[in-house]
Amino acid sequence: MINLRNVRKFYGALEVIKGVDITVEDGEFAVFVGPSGCGKSTLLRMIAGLEGIDDGDLILNGKRINDVPPDKRGIAMVFQSYALYPHMTVAENIGFSLSLKKVPIAEINRQVGEVAEILQLTDYLDRRPAALSGGQRQRVAIGRAIIKKPSLILFDEPLSNLDSALRVQMRAELQRLHRELKATVVYVTHDQVEAMTMADRIVVLNKGIVAQSGHPMDLYHSPDNEFVATFIGSPKMNILPVMLSRPEAGKLRLENAMGLSISLADGDASVATGEAKLGIRPEHLKVSQDGQGDFSAEVVIVERLGVETYLAVGSPKDPIVVRAEGDLSIRPGDRVSLTVDLSACHLFDSNGRVIRRPQTL
Amino acid sequence: MTDFVLARPGKSRRPDLLAYAALSLISAFCAVPFFWVLLASLDGNAQLFLSWPREWTLNNYVRVFAEEDGARWVFNSLFVVGSATLLVMVLAGLGGYALSRTRAWWKQPFLYAILLIRVLPPTALVVPLYKILLTLNNIEGNLVRIFFGGDTARAIMRWIGFIDGYLGLILVLATMQLPLALWIMKTFFDGLPRDYEEAAVMDGATMLQRIRRVLIPLALPGLAAAGLFAFISAWGDFLLPLILLSSPELQTLPLGLFRAFLRVNTIDYGFLAALAFIYLMPAVIAFGFARRFLVQTFSGGVKG
Repeated sequence: MINLRNVRKFYGALEVIKGVDITVEDGEFAVFVGPSGCGKSTLLRMIAGLEGIDDGDLILNGKRINDVPPDKRGIAMVFQSYALYPHMTVAENIGFSLSLKKVPIAEINRQVGEVAEILQLTDYLDRRPAALSGGQRQRVAIGRAIIKKPSLILFDEPLSNLDSALRVQMRAELQRLHRELKATVVYVTHDQVEAMTMADRIVVLNKGIVAQSGHPMDLYHSPDNEFVATFIGSPKMNILPVMLSRPEAGKLRLENAMGLSISLADGDASVATGEAKLGIRPEHLKVSQDGQGDFSAEVVIVERLGVETYLAVGSPKDPIVVRAEGDLSIRPGDRVSLTVDLSACHLFDSNGRVIRRPQTL
Repeated sequence: MTDFVLARPGKSRRPDLLAYAALSLISAFCAVPFFWVLLASLDGNAQLFLSWPREWTLNNYVRVFAEEDGARWVFNSLFVVGSATLLVMVLAGLGGYALSRTRAWWKQPFLYAILLIRVLPPTALVVPLYKILLTLNNIEGNLVRIFFGGDTARAIMRWIGFIDGYLGLILVLATMQLPLALWIMKTFFDGLPRDYEEAAVMDGATMLQRIRRVLIPLALPGLAAAGLFAFISAWGDFLLPLILLSSPELQTLPLGLFRAFLRVNTIDYGFLAALAFIYLMPAVIAFGFARRFLVQTFSGGVKG
């Protein structure tokens, strides 16, 4: 189990990690995700020991390891560039950490053989990295990590160098490996699809703080803030500026410039009225052409994929994206009516914090 | 349609031919002096103008080594230039790595400042350089004489003297070659991801293990390129040995060639040509090696 408690990092006067608390349980596949510059790679390098920790505690299996050198932490890391030594064979690359420890050659060969078996690299042990495909290099990099029998494996955007087909395949392979090895994994990516498909726990980072942490579906269904709401899910959640008013006790009215007007039963009188934001995912808007709906808008772009259709409606600059099942024969310029699925939409205050509503609407 | 297809190869063949012709002409122009020297060196009666040898002989080469101190000159040249090259490789390897990895503010100014050494004509620096080396040499000579007798001191100074000694020439030659070598190595290390070292750190490699087992193997193409450049350039240097060396025993190949040319009465073209051919061989061989590394180093470094 790895524990980060109020961890901070400064580059000069610039604070890049602003007091982060994260817990990853044994055997968990945790994914740190966020836009570039959010501090996710820095955080990973701090766990690895490649960057110092300026404040807070890093605790691995109950032991504070802030000042333990990287190779003594029992942590292995797979680098984005794989960092395979071009002058060594696959076997030498995988066995490098053992040969540094002066392990007898026969023992190194045995262990390298075992690892190669798991990773299906047995036929390639005598090759140089340059003679391998992208996926094979990736597996060698993983082999170099798991031969150390680490209690934690770190991955720094490991799939970003692969083409999209291989990425899907490697995603499945990494999940299989994780199940077989029962290893604890911390995985950094900027790709929310990777995060959603592989993670037991997602940690969304934004500007050096944890925006939200939890199971992918928790983040999808109940985001804590506008940032997480728009970051998780693809296409991203629509955010509509709305005015909140309370025409009578127990009722909340939402209105916006597009003619949207919804009444909510509001059990909690503490919700402040005024400017707010309504978050609706593209899949939670229902399209119809019969004029019956919460509001109507003009279609700007139509993307027909056969199994589903994406519509961009409203203003061309900042359109609302709608996902509809099946193939719809709607053309740009048509006017459509949209119905909001009230049970699935989210309300945020003007600062982007979610307004939790105690009862379903 | 057919015309079009047929027309294209015809169209591209004529410029090709022209290009080949032009290149052949330039190659021949470059190769003629070498050929001339080789021919003259094998001619028993070589003259100023190129002629086909009437009698073929290796006598010119034999004379370089038997009558003159040719072997000594070759050794001197190889020793001085080789040592300077080795020094350049070590300093450029370490310095280039440091310059590539540091974020210090003086990095850019420093890199441009050292280029000045290369840009200034050495001839302009000869007088002050000589003065400095002479002062150092006198201090050093006095010290050596205190500890050893006069004759031993002279023998020692031949190796470690700053003027008329191997060490002085080696240091000056290395200094002249170091800026370019530092630039080559700095650029080379710039292209070498830090990930390699960090992966080695994660694997538990100590600083020495990182240098020996990761950095040196990775930097080898760059080091070879820097070293060969330094060797070729220092090998061709004539002015510095001329000024810094005076003892006949320390004479290098270009000096031997120069002094043979200056001899009164007769100019022995066959002898000069043989000496010249011996002199240019190491540079040509070095260039042969360099080509491989040059391509590797200047076309994007290590691909992993």
